[in-house]
Amino acid sequence: MDTLDLGQRFAALEEKLGVEDYNYEHFRTKHYVLDVQGTLKARGIKPGELAPDWDLSDAMGGSLRLSALRGTPVLLHFGSIT
Amino acid sequence: MRFVDVAIRQAHPGPKARLYTSFEQKMLDAVVYKREEGIPWTVLVDDLAGTVHQVYGGMADPTYLIDSDGRVAYYNMWTHAPTLHTAIEALVGQGGRGVVRRGVDRRPHMAAAMTDGWRGLRRGLPQSLVDIEIAGPTTGTGAWLGYQLRPLLAPLTLRSEPLPTPVKVGLTAVLAVIVLRSARRRAG
Repeated sequence: MDTLDLGQRFAALEEKLGVEDYNYEHFRTKHYVLDVQGTLKARGIKPGELAPDWDLSDAMGGSLRLSALRGTPVLLHFGSIT
Repeated sequence: MRFVDVAIRQAHPGPKARLYTSFEQKMLDAVVYKREEGIPWTVLVDDLAGTVHQVYGGMADPTYLIDSDGRVAYYNMWTHAPTLHTAIEALVGQGGRGVVRRGVDRRPHMAAAMTDGWRGLRRGLPQSLVDIEIAGPTTGTGAWLGYQLRPLLAPLTLRSEPLPTPVKVGLTAVLAVIVLRSARRRAG
């Protein structure tokens, strides 16, 4: 899996959500259930695996590529404003 | 150690925090998020489909530690600052490379969310509260109550470092006494 780029990894995901399901209008019990299932399966990138590279826009302007940070450890948090 | 935050979807939408239908909307919220929360580190914005978020597991509030070689050293599935503090120390102790603390922490660390999560939830009021109460009764009101008790709870629940061992032992002993007394009362 290490050689796949982000798009390929996304396409290969078994449990991915489409744009409309991902951006839901109402938080529901099923979203709790998805989190419980994800926790039990440790869904995500496994320890020791190469973290898939990304190139994302910075809220303060410009962009940042993960691979540009190689050589220094990175703490990567995902969070929502709500 | 470089700290990076990735802004994801609207977790608890509401009238003033609508679900995202454009990347620009998401970017504007990320700017607000960085400013209002006083985040000193980089805040990045995922695309509308949540491509990066979903590839990294799509969990509600995860944190990864990525080592100097770009490999996952640690995966805190439910972000917990004291646990991360220990993992960061371990990673630094290993020269910034390799898996630390067995690699994954799956424990649902909810105490911080129940103390401070109201700050996020209130941006989507009233719908965010109604929805979360329907999805999991008492979780929204519990978050509100936790926020009211923040001055009392914060020293325990919003710590950035683990509790000292004597405090942990003391708290465990107090809990054990409460549980034993309660069990005796039921039995007697």
